[in-house]
Amino acid sequence: MPTEAIDPPGISWLRVSPKYVTVRLVEWAFGNLIAVALLSLPLVFTLAGWWDWVPLWLAITVPAFMLVLAVWRLLLIPRQVRAIGYAERDDDLLIRGGIFFQRTLVVPYGRMQYVDIGVGPVERSLGLCTLKLHTASAGTNAEIPGLPADEGARLREQLSARGAARLAGL
Amino acid sequence: MKPDGEWLRVHPASPFIRGWVALAAIGFFFGRDTFERLLQGRPLMDEMYSGRVPFLLAGGGLVLLLAVLGFIMTWYFTRYQVAEGYVRVNTGFLFKQQRQARLDRVQAIDIVQPLLARIFGLAELKFEVADAGESAVRLAYLRIDDARQLRATILARAAGLEPDPERPGAALPEAPEFVVLSVPPSRLVGSLLLSEQSFFVALGAVASVVLSALTENRSFYFYLIPAALGLAAAYWASFNKGYNFTAAISPDGIRLRYGLLDTQAQTLPPGRIQALKVSQPPLWRIFGWYRMQVNVAGYGGPGSNGEGASRTTLLPVGVLADVMRMLSLVLPDPGTPDPARVFAAGLTGLAPAGGSNAGGPPAPAAGGPVAGDPDGGFVTSPRRVRLLAPLGRRRNGFAATDTALLIRSGRLWRELVVVPHQRTQSMALHQGPLARRFRVADLVLHTTAGPVSPRVIQAGLDEARALFDAQAARAREARKRQTSEQWLAQVAPRQPDHQQNQQEGQQHG
Repeated sequence: MPTEAIDPPGISWLRVSPKYVTVRLVEWAFGNLIAVALLSLPLVFTLAGWWDWVPLWLAITVPAFMLVLAVWRLLLIPRQVRAIGYAERDDDLLIRGGIFFQRTLVVPYGRMQYVDIGVGPVERSLGLCTLKLHTASAGTNAEIPGLPADEGARLREQLSARGAARLAGL
Repeated sequence: MKPDGEWLRVHPASPFIRGWVALAAIGFFFGRDTFERLLQGRPLMDEMYSGRVPFLLAGGGLVLLLAVLGFIMTWYFTRYQVAEGYVRVNTGFLFKQQRQARLDRVQAIDIVQPLLARIFGLAELKFEVADAGESAVRLAYLRIDDARQLRATILARAAGLEPDPERPGAALPEAPEFVVLSVPPSRLVGSLLLSEQSFFVALGAVASVVLSALTENRSFYFYLIPAALGLAAAYWASFNKGYNFTAAISPDGIRLRYGLLDTQAQTLPPGRIQALKVSQPPLWRIFGWYRMQVNVAGYGGPGSNGEGASRTTLLPVGVLADVMRMLSLVLPDPGTPDPARVFAAGLTGLAPAGGSNAGGPPAPAAGGPVAGDPDGGFVTSPRRVRLLAPLGRRRNGFAATDTALLIRSGRLWRELVVVPHQRTQSMALHQGPLARRFRVADLVLHTTAGPVSPRVIQAGLDEARALFDAQAARAREARKRQTSEQWLAQVAPRQPDHQQNQQEGQQHG
């Protein structure tokens, strides 16, 4: 499969911290391992002989399928984190992400209404933060996760200053 | 016009008009039994209850008294003020609430008259402000003349007109308006009958007949009764809302009036329309009808409440000439020398079958559509996606004029989306694995919530990337040109007269 990037050429992307992989791993563990464990219950029950109405092949296939999916997602995480990037241009901020479903977003500074910084428990222990930009459109959904805390603070100040200088109405 | 800054109350009858349902419910609850007994010639009270009559009467009276008292309190504590560029509304006597809205951020202003209010000559004034959060500021109810006067004042302030310093209390004249188009009732009925929902009604009817014939289950028809009632209600709502639709232009913006029993008059100030969609369901093609919907900040999506769908409709049904007229109001400067041809290509055009502008070098995206192009300068999907979108390929495309981006799509459900450059919030390029295989990408423009969601479908990768960059630059330029939220202030200060500035008012936004 040709992996031609969709973003405009000639942009040097800033990458997020590699430590963000850990955050994603914790999220992955919460979501996927619990799902696999729950789906394995019928298998356990069947093997233990408490249940006899579930066919064995079904009790094996479903959790196995989930497990494969989960492992697949796990293997993708480092690449997905590496794919996240952002670039400050003179008038707008570019954010990119995704491997299979790629997205490149451009948010003009003058359109930003406010900038949020969010820190979750795992992120805090690693010294990371998530920066979120809001425009008048709910569809903007501009998020840069996994920024080192000081880089996040710098970016927020920078964006706020640039936004104030170029603020336009709706 | 009252002096500036004075705190005013809404009309004393308003809580009763708003709460008539509650009063009617109380009346119904206590009255029905008595009424039935009177009809049947029985004594008003059973023997066993007759001893308690005073209590019952006292209880009913108390409930009524409390309700009326509540109404009066709500009325007494609801006050509003227009001063210093703000509208402030105070409500509540236990939990006080003050809302204030910046006048220069007014996005749209409506005068709504439900049937009962209309009988009493009252109206609700409702305005959407971009910085007031999600819900509108509403004043219910005012005398209709007062509501019009207040609307004129708010719009004049929002436009950047200051009150005359020598006569601060002088009434601002209401801006004159000119009717641009109206929708005849016959066309409205026709459009409802040929709408998508009618198609599904017919489909459902056929399916149910077939099912009942196959299963020989006669009772099947009974299930259709509630469905039919619901459908009748839906049709009635559409008819009631769309009846007597009139669009007019005034220096304050576009005025839309509609409604059979409940009437509504919307005013969209110039430049408040964030995005616009012209669509044509397949059956409407017989008569060449189109529908126009808009995104306005504060109106929100059609699902947010029942009134959303009608408020975001710019034209419920109209012929091509109506669409062009509305487009010229919304986009006074189309940014192209030949707007009729470009927009017509956007509405009905198809790329040549051979795919002359597909797969080749990126079409020139700057400077507007190329003259002489039979397809109005639309750049469509490249030929290589004919397996992905065999029907839509020659239709899905975009064209950029100096002032707006035009996105067209749909072979059967035709759609044309227009986004003014200075209204683009942000943009994103999307590409999934299949799209990557075909070297195409989607470009999504983000606007405020509403029925229009602009998306360029399956543009060639090079074209999409060029558009992404060019569009960012164009939006930047357009924002620089637009300096103020006050639409008269954007014009060179030639004639600070409300009446005469009509042309300028329209052309800049």
